[in-house]
Amino acid sequence: MPVKDHFAQITAAWLGLVALTLASLGLSEWARDFAWLPLVVAAIMWIKGAIVARCFIEAQVAHPFIARVLQVFIAVAPIALIITAFFGNTVARWASV
Amino acid sequence: MTATTLDHLVPPEDPTRRIPGNKGIWVGITCEFVEFVVLFAVYFIARSHFPDAFHDGAQRLNIVAGTSITLLMVTSSYCIACSVNAIRLGQQRSAVIWLVAGLVIALGYPVSKVMEINWNLAHGINGESGIFFTVYYYLTFNHLVHATWGILGILWVLARLLFHGYSAEDYAGLEALASYWHATDIIWLVIFPFFYVLA
Repeated sequence: MPVKDHFAQITAAWLGLVALTLASLGLSEWARDFAWLPLVVAAIMWIKGAIVARCFIEAQVAHPFIARVLQVFIAVAPIALIITAFFGNTVARWASV
Repeated sequence: MTATTLDHLVPPEDPTRRIPGNKGIWVGITCEFVEFVVLFAVYFIARSHFPDAFHDGAQRLNIVAGTSITLLMVTSSYCIACSVNAIRLGQQRSAVIWLVAGLVIALGYPVSKVMEINWNLAHGINGESGIFFTVYYYLTFNHLVHATWGILGILWVLARLLFHGYSAEDYAGLEALASYWHATDIIWLVIFPFFYVLA
Protein backbone atom coordinates (compact mmCIF):
# COMPACT_ATOMS: atom_id res chain seq x y z
CA MET A 1 0.00 0.00 0.00
CA PRO A 2 1.50 3.41 -0.96
CA VAL A 3 2.41 5.76 1.93
CA LYS A 4 0.20 8.86 2.12
CA ASP A 5 1.87 12.29 2.11
CA HIS A 6 0.64 14.21 5.21
CA PHE A 7 2.54 17.44 4.43
CA ALA A 8 -0.62 19.54 3.79
CA GLN A 9 -2.28 18.33 7.00
CA ILE A 10 0.87 18.96 9.10
CA THR A 11 1.24 22.45 7.59
CA ALA A 12 -2.42 23.31 8.26
CA ALA A 13 -1.96 22.15 11.88
CA TRP A 14 1.14 24.36 12.28
CA LEU A 15 -0.69 27.39 10.86
CA GLY A 16 -3.55 26.71 13.27
CA LEU A 17 -1.12 26.58 16.21
CA VAL A 18 0.50 29.87 15.17
CA ALA A 19 -2.92 31.53 14.77
CA LEU A 20 -4.06 30.34 18.21
CA THR A 21 -0.79 31.56 19.78
CA LEU A 22 -1.32 35.02 18.26
CA ALA A 23 -4.96 34.95 19.43
CA SER A 24 -3.69 34.22 22.98
CA LEU A 25 -1.37 37.21 22.64
CA GLY A 26 -4.35 39.40 21.72
CA LEU A 27 -6.35 38.05 24.65
CA SER A 28 -3.56 38.84 27.10
CA GLU A 29 -3.46 42.40 25.75
CA TRP A 30 -7.16 43.28 25.42
CA ALA A 31 -9.13 40.83 27.59
CA ARG A 32 -6.86 40.71 30.63
CA ASP A 33 -9.52 41.73 33.14
CA PHE A 34 -12.53 39.87 31.72
CA ALA A 35 -14.05 37.17 33.96
CA TRP A 36 -14.49 34.79 31.00
CA LEU A 37 -10.79 34.92 30.01
CA PRO A 38 -9.91 31.62 31.82
CA LEU A 39 -12.65 29.81 29.86
CA VAL A 40 -11.28 30.98 26.50
CA VAL A 41 -7.67 30.32 27.55
CA ALA A 42 -8.61 26.81 28.73
CA ALA A 43 -10.36 26.12 25.40
CA ILE A 44 -7.36 27.36 23.38
CA MET A 45 -4.99 25.31 25.56
CA TRP A 46 -7.05 22.16 24.94
CA ILE A 47 -7.41 22.78 21.18
CA LYS A 48 -3.64 23.35 20.77
CA GLY A 49 -2.81 20.16 22.69
CA ALA A 50 -5.37 18.21 20.65
CA ILE A 51 -3.90 19.53 17.36
CA VAL A 52 -0.36 18.45 18.31
CA ALA A 53 -1.61 15.04 19.51
CA ARG A 54 -3.73 14.41 16.43
CA CYS A 55 -1.72 15.91 13.58
CA PHE A 56 1.90 15.56 14.82
CA ILE A 57 1.80 12.45 17.07
CA GLU A 58 -1.12 10.81 15.17
CA ALA A 59 -2.83 9.80 18.41
CA GLN A 60 -5.88 8.55 16.52
CA VAL A 61 -3.88 5.61 15.12
CA ALA A 62 -1.66 5.15 18.19
CA HIS A 63 -2.01 2.33 20.71
CA PRO A 64 -5.14 2.94 22.89
CA PHE A 65 -3.00 3.42 26.03
CA ILE A 66 -0.96 6.17 24.34
CA ALA A 67 -4.11 7.81 22.98
CA ARG A 68 -5.65 7.77 26.48
CA VAL A 69 -2.50 9.17 28.16
CA LEU A 70 -2.52 12.05 25.67
CA GLN A 71 -6.26 12.70 26.07
CA VAL A 72 -5.96 12.80 29.87
CA PHE A 73 -2.84 15.01 29.93
CA ILE A 74 -4.30 17.49 27.45
CA ALA A 75 -7.53 17.75 29.48
CA VAL A 76 -5.96 18.05 32.98
CA ALA A 77 -4.66 21.64 32.83
CA PRO A 78 -7.74 23.24 31.16
CA ILE A 79 -10.07 21.55 33.69
CA ALA A 80 -7.86 22.58 36.62
CA LEU A 81 -7.68 26.11 35.22
CA ILE A 82 -11.49 26.45 35.07
CA ILE A 83 -11.90 25.00 38.58
CA THR A 84 -9.24 27.35 40.00
CA ALA A 85 -10.69 30.37 38.18
CA PHE A 86 -14.26 29.91 39.40
CA PHE A 87 -13.79 27.96 42.66
CA GLY A 88 -10.39 29.32 43.74
CA ASN A 89 -11.40 29.85 47.38
CA THR A 90 -12.67 26.27 47.71
CA VAL A 91 -9.46 24.90 46.16
CA ALA A 92 -7.39 27.06 48.56
CA ARG A 93 -9.41 25.79 51.54
CA TRP A 94 -9.02 22.12 50.51
CA ALA A 95 -5.31 22.59 49.80
CA SER A 96 -4.55 24.25 53.13
CA VAL A 97 -2.55 22.36 55.75
CA MET B 1 -6.94 -20.36 36.40
CA THR B 2 -5.12 -22.04 33.52
CA ALA B 3 -2.90 -20.51 30.88
CA THR B 4 -5.68 -21.11 28.33
CA THR B 5 -8.11 -19.03 30.45
CA LEU B 6 -5.52 -16.25 30.71
CA ASP B 7 -5.16 -16.20 26.93
CA HIS B 8 -8.88 -15.46 26.65
CA LEU B 9 -8.59 -12.55 29.12
CA VAL B 10 -5.97 -10.72 27.05
CA PRO B 11 -7.73 -8.69 24.32
CA PRO B 12 -6.35 -9.25 20.82
CA GLU B 13 -4.09 -6.48 19.49
CA ASP B 14 -5.78 -4.01 17.15
CA PRO B 15 -3.71 -4.14 13.93
CA THR B 16 -4.81 -0.62 12.97
CA ARG B 17 -3.29 0.93 16.15
CA ARG B 18 0.48 1.32 16.52
CA ILE B 19 3.13 2.66 18.89
CA PRO B 20 4.68 5.88 17.50
CA GLY B 21 8.45 5.37 17.83
CA ASN B 22 9.01 2.69 20.44
CA LYS B 23 7.71 1.53 23.83
CA GLY B 24 10.70 2.97 25.72
CA ILE B 25 10.09 6.56 24.65
CA TRP B 26 6.43 6.29 25.72
CA VAL B 27 7.47 5.11 29.18
CA GLY B 28 9.63 8.26 29.34
CA ILE B 29 6.89 10.53 27.96
CA THR B 30 4.33 9.12 30.43
CA CYS B 31 6.77 9.76 33.32
CA GLU B 32 7.36 13.29 31.97
CA PHE B 33 3.59 13.92 31.90
CA VAL B 34 3.19 12.63 35.48
CA GLU B 35 6.03 14.90 36.64
CA PHE B 36 4.47 17.96 35.03
CA VAL B 37 0.98 17.13 36.34
CA VAL B 38 2.47 17.30 39.86
CA LEU B 39 4.17 20.62 39.02
CA PHE B 40 0.90 21.96 37.55
CA ALA B 41 -0.90 20.97 40.78
CA VAL B 42 1.60 23.13 42.71
CA TYR B 43 0.90 26.01 40.28
CA PHE B 44 -2.89 25.76 40.74
CA ILE B 45 -2.67 25.46 44.53
CA ALA B 46 -0.34 28.51 44.67
CA ARG B 47 -2.65 30.41 42.28
CA SER B 48 -5.74 29.66 44.39
CA HIS B 49 -3.95 30.84 47.55
CA PHE B 50 -2.40 34.00 46.04
CA PRO B 51 -4.65 35.19 43.16
CA ASP B 52 -3.42 38.78 43.41
CA ALA B 53 0.25 37.80 43.18
CA PHE B 54 -0.52 35.80 40.01
CA HIS B 55 -2.58 38.65 38.54
CA ASP B 56 0.18 41.20 39.08
CA GLY B 57 3.09 38.88 38.28
CA ALA B 58 1.92 37.98 34.77
CA GLN B 59 1.86 41.67 33.84
CA ARG B 60 5.54 42.06 34.75
CA LEU B 61 6.83 39.25 32.50
CA ASN B 62 8.11 39.78 28.96
CA ILE B 63 5.28 38.51 26.75
CA VAL B 64 7.42 38.82 23.61
CA ALA B 65 9.83 36.24 25.08
CA GLY B 66 6.97 33.88 25.99
CA THR B 67 5.38 34.20 22.55
CA SER B 68 8.76 33.74 20.80
CA ILE B 69 9.42 30.50 22.71
CA THR B 70 5.91 29.24 21.84
CA LEU B 71 6.40 29.98 18.14
CA LEU B 72 9.87 28.36 18.21
CA MET B 73 8.48 25.23 19.90
CA VAL B 74 5.51 24.76 17.53
CA THR B 75 7.66 25.50 14.46
CA SER B 76 10.44 23.10 15.43
CA SER B 77 7.74 20.49 16.18
CA TYR B 78 6.32 21.13 12.71
CA CYS B 79 9.75 20.68 11.05
CA ILE B 80 10.35 17.40 12.89
CA ALA B 81 6.86 16.13 11.94
CA CYS B 82 7.76 16.99 8.30
CA SER B 83 11.03 15.07 8.70
CA VAL B 84 9.10 11.94 9.80
CA ASN B 85 6.67 12.45 6.89
CA ALA B 86 9.61 12.73 4.45
CA ILE B 87 11.41 9.58 5.66
CA ARG B 88 8.15 7.62 5.37
CA LEU B 89 7.98 8.69 1.74
CA GLY B 90 11.58 7.55 1.27
CA GLN B 91 12.86 11.14 0.83
CA GLN B 92 16.05 10.87 2.89
CA ARG B 93 17.54 14.21 1.85
CA SER B 94 14.32 16.05 2.57
CA ALA B 95 14.12 14.35 5.99
CA VAL B 96 17.65 15.62 6.80
CA ILE B 97 16.80 19.19 5.72
CA TRP B 98 13.61 19.26 7.84
CA LEU B 99 15.42 17.83 10.85
CA VAL B 100 18.27 20.38 10.55
CA ALA B 101 15.61 23.14 10.34
CA GLY B 102 13.91 21.68 13.44
CA LEU B 103 17.25 21.65 15.29
CA VAL B 104 18.18 25.24 14.36
CA ILE B 105 14.74 26.52 15.41
CA ALA B 106 14.78 24.43 18.61
CA LEU B 107 18.15 26.02 19.53
CA GLY B 108 16.35 29.37 19.51
CA TYR B 109 14.52 28.28 22.65
CA PRO B 110 17.51 28.28 25.08
CA VAL B 111 18.79 31.47 23.40
CA SER B 112 15.41 33.19 23.96
CA LYS B 113 15.34 31.89 27.52
CA VAL B 114 18.76 33.37 28.31
CA MET B 115 17.66 36.72 26.85
CA GLU B 116 14.43 36.57 28.85
CA ILE B 117 16.27 35.83 32.09
CA ASN B 118 18.64 38.75 31.45
CA TRP B 119 15.62 40.97 30.79
CA ASN B 120 13.99 39.70 34.02
CA LEU B 121 17.12 40.39 36.09
CA ALA B 122 17.44 43.87 34.57
CA HIS B 123 13.86 44.51 35.73
CA GLY B 124 14.46 43.17 39.23
CA ILE B 125 12.71 39.81 38.69
CA ASN B 126 14.43 36.82 40.27
CA GLY B 127 13.40 33.62 42.07
CA GLU B 128 12.84 35.52 45.29
CA SER B 129 10.54 38.18 43.84
CA GLY B 130 7.40 36.47 45.16
CA ILE B 131 5.38 33.26 44.89
CA PHE B 132 4.43 33.87 41.24
CA PHE B 133 8.05 34.18 40.13
CA THR B 134 9.20 31.21 42.23
CA VAL B 135 6.59 29.00 40.48
CA TYR B 136 7.42 30.61 37.11
CA TYR B 137 11.15 29.92 37.45
CA TYR B 138 10.88 26.30 38.60
CA LEU B 139 8.27 25.36 35.98
CA THR B 140 9.99 27.07 33.05
CA PHE B 141 13.49 25.89 34.07
CA ASN B 142 12.18 22.37 34.41
CA HIS B 143 10.73 22.59 30.92
CA LEU B 144 14.02 23.96 29.59
CA VAL B 145 15.83 20.94 31.04
CA HIS B 146 13.42 18.59 29.22
CA ALA B 147 13.81 20.60 26.00
CA THR B 148 17.62 20.35 26.34
CA TRP B 149 17.34 16.56 26.46
CA GLY B 150 15.20 16.81 23.34
CA ILE B 151 17.81 18.94 21.55
CA LEU B 152 20.50 16.38 22.41
CA GLY B 153 18.14 13.72 21.06
CA ILE B 154 17.73 15.66 17.81
CA LEU B 155 21.53 15.81 17.44
CA TRP B 156 21.82 12.03 17.92
CA VAL B 157 18.98 11.23 15.49
CA LEU B 158 20.40 13.70 12.95
CA ALA B 159 23.78 11.95 13.11
CA ARG B 160 22.09 8.58 12.49
CA LEU B 161 19.97 10.05 9.69
CA LEU B 162 23.07 11.49 7.97
CA PHE B 163 24.65 8.02 7.98
CA HIS B 164 21.46 6.45 6.55
CA GLY B 165 20.48 4.92 9.89
CA TYR B 166 16.80 5.33 9.01
CA SER B 167 14.78 4.36 5.97
CA ALA B 168 11.15 4.28 4.82
CA GLU B 169 10.93 0.78 6.33
CA ASP B 170 12.66 1.52 9.65
CA TYR B 171 12.36 5.00 11.14
CA ALA B 172 11.36 4.14 14.73
CA GLY B 173 14.24 6.15 16.25
CA LEU B 174 13.32 9.31 14.35
CA GLU B 175 9.64 8.88 15.23
CA ALA B 176 10.51 8.26 18.92
CA LEU B 177 12.46 11.55 19.00
CA ALA B 178 9.58 13.31 17.24
CA SER B 179 7.08 11.94 19.80
CA TYR B 180 9.25 13.19 22.68
CA TRP B 181 9.62 16.62 21.11
CA HIS B 182 5.88 16.91 20.40
CA ALA B 183 5.11 15.90 24.02
CA THR B 184 7.54 18.58 25.26
CA ASP B 185 5.77 21.02 22.90
CA ILE B 186 2.35 20.13 24.40
CA ILE B 187 3.76 20.83 27.89
CA TRP B 188 4.99 24.28 26.80
CA LEU B 189 1.59 25.03 25.24
CA VAL B 190 0.15 24.55 28.75
CA ILE B 191 2.88 26.58 30.51
CA PHE B 192 2.68 29.57 28.12
CA PRO B 193 -0.84 30.76 29.12
CA PHE B 194 -0.12 30.03 32.80
CA PHE B 195 2.45 32.83 32.98
CA TYR B 196 2.08 35.07 29.94
CA VAL B 197 -1.63 35.14 29.05
CA LEU B 198 -3.59 34.79 32.29
CA ALA B 199 -3.42 37.78 34.55
